[in-house]
Amino acid sequence: MSRYVSPVNPAVYPHLSVLLLMIGTFFTAWFFVYEVTSTKITRDLSKELFIAFVASLFMGFGLLFLMLWVGIYV
Amino acid sequence: MGFRIKVYLICLFVTLTGFCTATSEDIVIKNAERTIDLTSQLVKITHRLTLSNTGKSAVKSFNFPIDPKAQEKLSFFKAQLADGKESSGELKAESSTVKGILTYKITLSSALEPGQTVKVLVGTVFTHHLSPHPAEITQKEKQLVQYRGNAYIYTPYKVTTQTTKVLLSSSTVESYTKVKPSSQSDSTITYGPYENIAPLSEESITIHFENNTPFLSVGHLLRHIEVSHWGNIAVEETLDVYHGGAKLKGSFSRFEYQREQSGVSSVKSFKTVLPELAADVYYRDEIGNISTSNLRQEDDGDVSLELRPRFPLFGGWKTHYVVGYNLPSFANLFNSGDEFVLQMDLISHIFDHMVVDDALVRIILPEGASNIEVETPYAVTRLPDSLHFTYLDVKGRPVVEIAAKNLVENHIQPFKLRYTFSRIVMLQEPFLCVLAFFLLFLTFIIYARLDFSITKDETCDNRSRAAVMAEHIRNHYLKRSKLFQAFETQVAKLKSSRDINAFQAAAKNITSDLRAQTLDLPSNFKSEYPQLNDRVTELQKQDKAYRDFQSNHAQLVERLVSGKINKAQFADAEALLTKKRDELVEKLNHLINTL
Repeated sequence: MSRYVSPVNPAVYPHLSVLLLMIGTFFTAWFFVYEVTSTKITRDLSKELFIAFVASLFMGFGLLFLMLWVGIYV
Repeated sequence: MGFRIKVYLICLFVTLTGFCTATSEDIVIKNAERTIDLTSQLVKITHRLTLSNTGKSAVKSFNFPIDPKAQEKLSFFKAQLADGKESSGELKAESSTVKGILTYKITLSSALEPGQTVKVLVGTVFTHHLSPHPAEITQKEKQLVQYRGNAYIYTPYKVTTQTTKVLLSSSTVESYTKVKPSSQSDSTITYGPYENIAPLSEESITIHFENNTPFLSVGHLLRHIEVSHWGNIAVEETLDVYHGGAKLKGSFSRFEYQREQSGVSSVKSFKTVLPELAADVYYRDEIGNISTSNLRQEDDGDVSLELRPRFPLFGGWKTHYVVGYNLPSFANLFNSGDEFVLQMDLISHIFDHMVVDDALVRIILPEGASNIEVETPYAVTRLPDSLHFTYLDVKGRPVVEIAAKNLVENHIQPFKLRYTFSRIVMLQEPFLCVLAFFLLFLTFIIYARLDFSITKDETCDNRSRAAVMAEHIRNHYLKRSKLFQAFETQVAKLKSSRDINAFQAAAKNITSDLRAQTLDLPSNFKSEYPQLNDRVTELQKQDKAYRDFQSNHAQLVERLVSGKINKAQFADAEALLTKKRDELVEKLNHLINTL
């Protein structure tokens, strides 16, 4: 039996959340810009889904680390 | 007569308890020293017994009954071997109640042979045993309490010599029952030594003395321990604290309280000792944060929290508050693979000489923990497991609930909780967030595809479709112009390097690329986009002209390189061609940009 430590060092939670949320916000912005600028004809579903997936991946992990940073230990 | 009744009582006791009669009579307590510590609100009694086996067979255990008048108030019991100065070797003690008498059967570590002696230390702690007398006092008065007990040790064995020392919190003693020989010196009352006292003898004593120590009790303690595998153990305690001493009579004067020495038995503040690694400590109640608290790191490493309730606590007054802190997981959580062990104090220190009437410990494990086993340091009630729902939970976190009553500081002992948890399950939480975001984006994707317009705008549709087509054509020609540029670079290179073979190979590549590039247009392009069609025809014409120019230019340079024409002739021809090229480029660019 050894002492249990988190798989991610709690000291890096602030950095991780800021970095991931920044990347996530970039992709989210891209997604919404694409959504409002593309027309019915130019819209590409696979591209939309891809950007949405990448954005949600970064935003999701970023949000989790943000929660851990502020003390909501899930 | 009295003696006969006592003997009868012993026989009854011994038969009812079902222990071997021979053993009971074989044991004689040669010497007993009892210390009754009344310096706080608790009654701590320590017995130092010298047991002797006067029988013929070895004795393995002996009985230690608790005085029936006080057994309800017994909180803690411990028996250990007393070897000289060093007190070590805890002895196994089993409690049983027979005919209303709580009796502990203490098993000796090795059987006591006939004629031998053994020294045993028995410690007991009683709560709410001191009763305030008078029960109500004014703010100015001091608190007096009464202790009622027995001058002799309550034991089923004959005691050859016994002494009792009562330690008091102050030297102010109103009265105490005298049982010769007994004496008082300063804050100590000594009873005895008494010789040859018969088993279960009783001689009531009452000691009435001043005791202004804090009579604080925790009526109800709710302790939450929340384990997170992201590296944290959150502890939160919700307490209902009351002052169990003499009740306050009359009104409370804040002025007098501040000005002079009054309210000596009231509690202004108290100190809670938190674990060494405690961080993010908070102290609040229903209103919010209570700002009157101090956090200090003691020299021994512990974190001490000095709490000052919103008002001083007088007898009968109550307060309710919450104290919480975080601990890093490595402080109390251990693992090997997927097997985890949480080792923590079942209750923690609240204040010195504390009494907890009723405690409920809720241990919240991470979602997905299974095979939960609890190992407690003393007997407690384990309530049925329940579920707790908090952030990012799907099926709820398993909660182990433990209830205990009448606890004191001696009960601050660690429990062990084993459980199995697959660490891959930790990923469930981030992916839940990911899913939530993805659903949000998906809603937008669907929303963007919904058409809420009442009329269909044909012209707008056509215009946007034409714009898309124009963009498509523009991209095609922009790609071509890049290839044209590449060709020109090769021609310029040929002029300086004079390597015809290399040029021809490169030129062939570019030409095939240009040929491979075709403009895909829909079959109905001509009828659908008549305007665009004209432009495209014009563009194709210019494009062809440009390619012609390029091949002419290449030929010219080749001729110069192979020496078929001289430099002057070449310069003239090239100037002409360049002029033509500039015109073409301008036309092409204009066409592309105004599509």
